[in-house]
Amino acid sequence: MDITFILINALVVACIYGLVAVAVSITWSSLGLINLGYGFVFSFGGYGAYVVSKNLIDHPIAVALAGILFGALGGIIICALVFIPLHDKKNFTTRGMIATLAISLVGSQALLMYFGPRAKSLPELFGFWQVRLGNIVLTSDKIGIVVCSIAMLSVVIFWMQGSRRGLEIRAMMMNPHAASIVGIGIRSTGFYVMALTGAMAGLAAVLLSQTYFISPFSGLTPLIKGVSIALCGGLGSVRGAVIAAIILGITEAATSRLLGGQYVLITQFLVIISILIVRPRGIAGLLDKGREQ
Amino acid sequence: MSDNSTSKDKYFWHNPLAVWDTKGRKGKVESIPVPDPATAWDNHKQYKIKTYKLGRLKHYHIWANHGERTWKRIRWWPTRRNLLNIRGKYNRKTLIAEKKIMDRRPIYWVLCLFILAIAPFLFPESMQNSLLTAGAVFGIFAAINVCWTLVLGTASIFSLASYAIVGVAAFITSWLSIQYGLPWWYLPIVGTAIGFAFGGIIALPAMRLDGFYYALLTLGLNELCRVYFTTSKQFGSASGGLYGASTYINPDWAPYTQSLVSYYGAFALLIASLFLFRFTNGKRLGRILKMAPEKREAFAEACGVDYRQARIRIFLITSAALGFIGGFYAAHYRGVAFSIFSFDTVLLGLAMLAIGGIGKAEGAILGTLVVVFLDKILIEIGPIRHLMIGTIMFGAVLFLNNGFFGIKQQFNAWRDKKRGEWRSARTEKGGEALPEEATEIDDKDRLYMKRFDKVQRDYLKTLITPQIMEEHRAQPLGQHSEALERVLLYFRRAEMDDKYALHRDGPTGHYKLIAFSGNRGVSPRVVDDKEYDDVDEAYHAVFVRRVHDLMES
Repeated sequence: MDITFILINALVVACIYGLVAVAVSITWSSLGLINLGYGFVFSFGGYGAYVVSKNLIDHPIAVALAGILFGALGGIIICALVFIPLHDKKNFTTRGMIATLAISLVGSQALLMYFGPRAKSLPELFGFWQVRLGNIVLTSDKIGIVVCSIAMLSVVIFWMQGSRRGLEIRAMMMNPHAASIVGIGIRSTGFYVMALTGAMAGLAAVLLSQTYFISPFSGLTPLIKGVSIALCGGLGSVRGAVIAAIILGITEAATSRLLGGQYVLITQFLVIISILIVRPRGIAGLLDKGREQ
Repeated sequence: MSDNSTSKDKYFWHNPLAVWDTKGRKGKVESIPVPDPATAWDNHKQYKIKTYKLGRLKHYHIWANHGERTWKRIRWWPTRRNLLNIRGKYNRKTLIAEKKIMDRRPIYWVLCLFILAIAPFLFPESMQNSLLTAGAVFGIFAAINVCWTLVLGTASIFSLASYAIVGVAAFITSWLSIQYGLPWWYLPIVGTAIGFAFGGIIALPAMRLDGFYYALLTLGLNELCRVYFTTSKQFGSASGGLYGASTYINPDWAPYTQSLVSYYGAFALLIASLFLFRFTNGKRLGRILKMAPEKREAFAEACGVDYRQARIRIFLITSAALGFIGGFYAAHYRGVAFSIFSFDTVLLGLAMLAIGGIGKAEGAILGTLVVVFLDKILIEIGPIRHLMIGTIMFGAVLFLNNGFFGIKQQFNAWRDKKRGEWRSARTEKGGEALPEEATEIDDKDRLYMKRFDKVQRDYLKTLITPQIMEEHRAQPLGQHSEALERVLLYFRRAEMDDKYALHRDGPTGHYKLIAFSGNRGVSPRVVDDKEYDDVDEAYHAVFVRRVHDLMES
């Protein structure tokens, strides 16, 4: 009972963090931008959903859509403020990273000033029901979180595989220079990518708000976890991010069962460091050829 | 010009040979006054767009010099190093001996540090306490940032864990001091050992990971430290930090003396960190790594530079120094708060570096000054000050390549670019060689010839008028007016390829226009199928064609 409970919790959290991880991963590999502003996008999406549920309608689907839309908007803001002006400048990677950090500082402070320090909560999106499998009880929010994040990931993967825009993004991942030569606009693709990944972060915010509250700095933990998972899985690889999310989820579950909750991060980081020492580009990352930027 | 045209009508050329033979020739023809060819050169050399005065204002003092005194310099005993990099030179216009300070940065450093040293006595009475406290914060954070600059700039390891090292050292030394009663002077020493050990652990992945992968990893390490120290029982999870360590500031002193001692303690720490920076970045390790900047490591490695080892060494030295600062921090504030591990601290630290410029000690210090001023002194304006810091950081990253101290370099690069643009805007391509072509032409006489030819043609174009056409038609050979004579001399001097000539079919045939090929053995081409009966008519046809070519060129 205990271990399955922890495992299910780990799976649920890994699903949410996995969304952020895939977002970080796609942004880095297609745009070459290390976006540490997802913490802000996360909070922005959460607050957007909160404002909609408070003032307009609190239908679950509408709230989730609001989160996704505001997340996408946050992504577009970052793209317009950071990627568009900086992408062809000197030291783009360093400056891009610092600029996204600055946006996250400014944005979080602005949210703090506007909404105040008190945490907000969203309505229950998935109702109150539970499924009993043998002696395992699955509550509605856990099933909802897992189903929603897997659905979102599948939609993103199918869109990336099947659509024209997805093809453009994949071409940018392979070779941004060649992609721009054959007529794929770097800037327009930047907007698609940032809107898409922002939407993923926004959904993650709505899903995480089923367990935690929304606050101006609530995006920090998902960001750091997401970045760690993306790093461990190999930046640019969705498959690697999924594998890494599972490995880290299992590590978290095993540590809290065997050693205690306060050692979770330590064991996780030991796992990440040991994986990275063996494979410096992550589990599924390209070992010999990093993205040239 | 209007003057010219009126005089044109009145100007006549008198044929000096008219006295002897004027049969069919005119003794007097209408002609034009010939302007001085030098005016064409003056026009050519004038810029068509607005230009500015050359050279630059002297914004620095030039010291008088004497040949003997050039080598009389103040040196750092016992080396032969100079206090200042001074060069003796002669003024190019006046030939007066001058001394120029090539690198004025040491002067600025001394001035700024002197101001910092006497600052407590310049503070206004009302704000003295808060300014002294902020000054101490500035000293400690500037010291941390100078060390961080060594990691980011000199070693090019993008580590975000510097505050984590300081925090870990501060927490452990505070705990040791509380538990085992370590006196305050032990804390920095123990902190050095802790920093060295902790740095050694986090340097392991740095050997394998590249820049940004490592940055993301260290961001996580920071969070790991925060969570670990916040939740652990030994390090006081309840009180928001660990306090009670022994301190060098005696509580029996007057409050002003305490503030003053803490200010100068932090200032001494800053000076020490600057010395560390100078002796790491400016000596062997730093010079090795200047050869191996990011993405050019392979070349350095091929030259025998072990850049990995050098980077790790700098990382370890810096970690030990950060540990020292951590111990000092604990001894300074009697302990440490959890906020040292918070993401905001890392963000503010990065803001300090980004504002001043990554990789430069002066950048780290200026950035710290700006951020500490906004964060600690303008404390009453509330959370908007973080917004201001974020905006400044964002602006600095958006518009500056490398922070405040990169402005000069960026401005110079921009000015050079603009200079190139302006030069190309005022360069006319008219038979002249462009600078990039000119390097390809071996015979430099040809370059000048091209330039001369262009100006000559520009000048001759002004001479072509209906009057001289008419004059030539009337008399192709013999003496002419000055204008026509100048034009004809130019035509006769032309190169052989494509030079026009006349061809006659037999002794009684018609004349035809041909053009020489310019190559020996290659026959001339026929220009057109028009035939002329009279030789003078044919001469004039050649002239018309050449004038046509001249006007087209």
